[in-house]
Amino acid sequence: MIQNYLILSVILFCLGILGVVSRRNVFTVFMSIELMLNAANLAFITFSRLHESMDGHVLAMLVMAVAAAEAALALAVVILLHKHKGNLDTNVFSLLKG
Amino acid sequence: MSAEWLFYVFSVLSVLGAIGLVLFRHPMQGAMSLIVTMISLAGLYALLSAKLIFVLQLIVYAGAIMSLILFIIMFLNIQTRDLPEEKGKFFYLLGGLIVLIPFASFLIKVVKSLPGSQATIVGSGFGGVKEVGLVLFQDWLLPFEIVSILLLVSLVGAVVLAGKRRFGK
Repeated sequence: MIQNYLILSVILFCLGILGVVSRRNVFTVFMSIELMLNAANLAFITFSRLHESMDGHVLAMLVMAVAAAEAALALAVVILLHKHKGNLDTNVFSLLKG
Repeated sequence: MSAEWLFYVFSVLSVLGAIGLVLFRHPMQGAMSLIVTMISLAGLYALLSAKLIFVLQLIVYAGAIMSLILFIIMFLNIQTRDLPEEKGKFFYLLGGLIVLIPFASFLIKVVKSLPGSQATIVGSGFGGVKEVGLVLFQDWLLPFEIVSILLLVSLVGAVVLAGKRRFGK
């Protein structure tokens, strides 16, 4: 029974990777990263339930804090890039290409 | 077995939300389907008797982070013609699936070989605020402080990046 949670976590993580690989909209890429973080959280909680210790809960809380920090910074960068380029295509944002 | 039925309902909803995020063209629709995923994940946390994480998932993830993303999407006022043309989307989706299906089947095989997966009974205090707080402030104090510094740094960074330029660049 508890393995089904882990299988669901694997499926959600793979869907997140699929979103990052296949989409070019910068918002969708960012939300796919959030989806991958959520899948990792589900795995943490499931292992925590499996081993009956609460360390996984604490790790999930830390992941949530890191996701909040990442969201703030990434959205600031997206606003800045949209101001400069007027576009949301990830292929346009290749300023560092040699 | 109502818990199993709830698990299947929530897992199907979360997978459907994730598929919607990958397939919808407009980021607003993608964000809405991601909210569906997050709320059903909160239900799964409740099924795993993680009460504090259930509440935090609803408040912080589905509430704060997703409303921030929705706010920015509406702030930039994205019309359908502003979206990037994704001509090779299904090609990339197919390629990604070809790469990811062996990866996923390998991981599922690993997961299925885990020992000791019988459902056990935990005490009523498992995952409550007091118990998780005790673990957090006894064993995980240093990571907690490091995360607080990380939040401060990202706050300052966001203000510096998105703030108004007062003098010439």
